[in-house]
Amino acid sequence: MKKKAYLGIDIGSISTKGVIIDENNTFLAESYLWTEGNPIQATREVLHALEEQFDREHYRIAASGTTGSARKLVGSMIGAQVVKNEITAHAVGTTTLHPEVRTILEIGGQDSKIICVENGVAVDYAMNTLCAAGTGAFLSSQAHRLGVEVEEFGSIALKAKKAAPIAARCTVFAESDLVHKLQVGCPKDEIIAGLCKAVAGNYLNNVAKGKKIIAPVVFQGGVSKNAGVVHMFEEELGMPVMVDEKGHLMGAFGIAVLAREDQSEGEFSFDVAQMDFKTREVTCGKCANHCEIICVYRDGSLIDSWGNRCDNGAIRQ
Amino acid sequence: MKNIHIIGVPRGLLTYRDGILWKEFFTQLGFSYILSPRSDRSILEEGTARAVDETCLPFKMYLGHVQRLLGKCDALFIPREGGYTPREKMCTRYESLPDLIANIFREERLPLLTVSYDWYDKTNEEAVYLKLAETLGKTKKEGKKAYNSAKKVQDAWYKAKEKRQMQKLDSSKSKVLLAGHPYVLHDAYMGSELGKILEKFGVEVLYTDYVNKKSALKKSYDLSRVIPWLISREIIGASLLLREKVDGIVLVSAYPCGPDSLAGELLQRHLKGLPVLSLTLDAQSGTAGVETRLESFIDIIKYQKAGGYGFKN
Repeated sequence: MKKKAYLGIDIGSISTKGVIIDENNTFLAESYLWTEGNPIQATREVLHALEEQFDREHYRIAASGTTGSARKLVGSMIGAQVVKNEITAHAVGTTTLHPEVRTILEIGGQDSKIICVENGVAVDYAMNTLCAAGTGAFLSSQAHRLGVEVEEFGSIALKAKKAAPIAARCTVFAESDLVHKLQVGCPKDEIIAGLCKAVAGNYLNNVAKGKKIIAPVVFQGGVSKNAGVVHMFEEELGMPVMVDEKGHLMGAFGIAVLAREDQSEGEFSFDVAQMDFKTREVTCGKCANHCEIICVYRDGSLIDSWGNRCDNGAIRQ
Repeated sequence: MKNIHIIGVPRGLLTYRDGILWKEFFTQLGFSYILSPRSDRSILEEGTARAVDETCLPFKMYLGHVQRLLGKCDALFIPREGGYTPREKMCTRYESLPDLIANIFREERLPLLTVSYDWYDKTNEEAVYLKLAETLGKTKKEGKKAYNSAKKVQDAWYKAKEKRQMQKLDSSKSKVLLAGHPYVLHDAYMGSELGKILEKFGVEVLYTDYVNKKSALKKSYDLSRVIPWLISREIIGASLLLREKVDGIVLVSAYPCGPDSLAGELLQRHLKGLPVLSLTLDAQSGTAGVETRLESFIDIIKYQKAGGYGFKN
């Protein structure tokens, strides 16, 4: 008899992550790639990558879950048993691997959040509002401007003698500040260190505003791979900041754990990666709200729809 | 004021607080009363087209409602309410409402019917409405009768709401209090969506404006003696009265609101220990962002109650 395994997929605005775990939460397969504005294609590729690493001889996927901004879409695509928000997924994932954690800092591609944990359960959280200043997207665009790969930011920042003061409250101001610093001859590494400091400062002043940051602190999301930002956080907070090697996969891991805990098992087949999925946006004309309804089709037939504010806009399958 | 038969009331701002009083008052005095339709996207768009960028979402919505009443009534009731006491005032939006409307719709030459009072006038609600009846050419006696019966209807309406809300407190489900200005909480295109989403997650939804206003107002002085706004006080007081009885509070604000940004922050700091979510609504059409935030919030409440993850909720 094959052993049970659980699939979790986290589809974010910038990257898509997938993991398969066993009954003891051990990673059996993992994948991380860019969403590139196409969550369906990204999920297909993640599934391909996972399938290659997956030991089909000894395991079968007993349940699956999705999280992240495209969780609904991909959830109906793969027929997930659990579809949950990324706050809960990250909290579950992190507390499973680090039961002692009290504060989770997360900076992703377009959003950032803080989760406060007490006795292993999230008790409070905050998310950035519409503005994406100080997230991965901001760092990437500044790296582009400086002609440096964003992946090198961390090591460059750590070598800088000091951090140039950069106003990172707003992406637009940060850019003009950055150009100004370059023009007055400020060394590039100090500017990069300044950007890392600004990201940490911006996060603590905006997202984490009013929240008590208690050790142990775990930092995750794509930006946690930037050693410069980690260092600036440690300096600002005066406490060690832990970065998990699997930190970028924590949402996918958390939703896989939730799929394991949810008792409803369901068949999953990697064949979904071959199927044809299309989405269509329909503007409902039944009232003046003109809701944008998303319809998902598998091989030409409607499998799910959402986005309607009221029942008048419900699309029957 | 002559030749007024139909009085139009925009469904926005204080109509969500005193609309029932107005309706009864005008009908008792023999006028027809019409209310603009429920908010939807087109009303907001029409209002936004009339407004300056920086003004608040509920005011933009209000302008849309005014627009909807054009040509449908003989006069629009746009009150200027400044508050009755210095610690229970209204925000500047209400202090300037008829002037703003008259100016924004100056081409249309709207016939406006109004009341106008401020805390330094040392007046009271009854006197204000008696004067309004007089403006409409009614006698003092007629005015008094209409006001008294309108007040009775309004009191009964709120009492029924309060009673139903008290019953919800006995429910075994998780209970979440929506705290905010009534015209944000109950507007079909702003807050009423939140209640629906929460109910879908299986929680009992309570509202700050369905808590007895007198007790809430009194209670608000426990937290602050200096806050100048009446409705902020009602929100604060109601939240304090229910804090032990609910599992979480969602502070709902519509962008940008000065009083909310101060009162909300104050309240949030004071309510330590209870899950509190601060939600700011703007003109975004999608509810996905709001849904994610509410779902996360409900998860926090549910898992905390269950004592940890690993329990099926």
